[in-house]
Amino acid sequence: MNVEAKEAKSLPFIIAWLVLLILAGLSVFSAFQRLDVWAPIVEFGVAACQALIVFLLFMRLKGPPSLKWVFAGAGFFWLLFLYGLSMTDYATRRGWPTGG
Amino acid sequence: MPSATIRPETQYATLHQQGEAAQLGMWVFLATETLFFGALIFTYYLYRISYPEAIAHASEDTVLWCGSVNLALLLTSSLTMVLAINAAAQGRRGAAMALLLATIVLGFCFLGVKGYEYAADYSDKVVPAVNFTLKPGEPPASELFWIYYFVATGLHAIHVTTGLGLLLYVFWRLRQRRVTAAYYAPIEVVGLYWSFVDTVWIFLFPTIYLAGRL
Repeated sequence: MNVEAKEAKSLPFIIAWLVLLILAGLSVFSAFQRLDVWAPIVEFGVAACQALIVFLLFMRLKGPPSLKWVFAGAGFFWLLFLYGLSMTDYATRRGWPTGG
Repeated sequence: MPSATIRPETQYATLHQQGEAAQLGMWVFLATETLFFGALIFTYYLYRISYPEAIAHASEDTVLWCGSVNLALLLTSSLTMVLAINAAAQGRRGAAMALLLATIVLGFCFLGVKGYEYAADYSDKVVPAVNFTLKPGEPPASELFWIYYFVATGLHAIHVTTGLGLLLYVFWRLRQRRVTAAYYAPIEVVGLYWSFVDTVWIFLFPTIYLAGRL
């Protein structure tokens, strides 16, 4: 059990929640801007920032036990493998992307 | 009602050790879930690179306000969830129950908005294999987007429903005084799951609702 929950104040979490809502608004705002190929990168980047806040604060990834970093890190590591190896396939295909 | 004495299961020396094992177990499960949803989101980006016009065209027909309201609902529910955990750990049982109830209500609101959105999608004739109809000038590959949309949101809704079941179970345990300041691992572990489900929506939201808005 996370012992810091015993002493935790509400304010940091409320601030984090406000930041999350602002980022959500920013994400929607970005959808109406001419970002072209950058659009998915900006959208994914904002989502990654939001996820980081949720993981570190709301899910208390930064607190003890530190062993949970191993499990969370393993999930992220295998996801990178999945993305990396899949992209080596697609990136070396002739005629991809086809567009449409 | 007197507080029930909670003892560790036989394989654990202390309640704290039992709580840490439960937490690590949930993190292992969430690592597998990361791969599960990660592969799904990866598929979307392959579609988007392969058929940018079709995906933008289809995405424009999604109900943006429904997705945005649902994002706000889940982000707020993650806040009430973590505050409920803090309250339980600090022995503020009444506050923990009220905050947990707020989380449950927000979760049901999410499903309600999602149900409304599915009904709107049905009326808009975008449900593959049921009533999908291409609009004039729409590329055929846009149906791929709608397959992704229903698979992704359907799987997410199943996770939200599971989370609501777990939240109701923890609420019942709080009422029974089987979650206390001495042992609050059950609410903490369910909170991990709930915030993860919120994180999944954070990533699904831009993939579903934001392309093709200009």
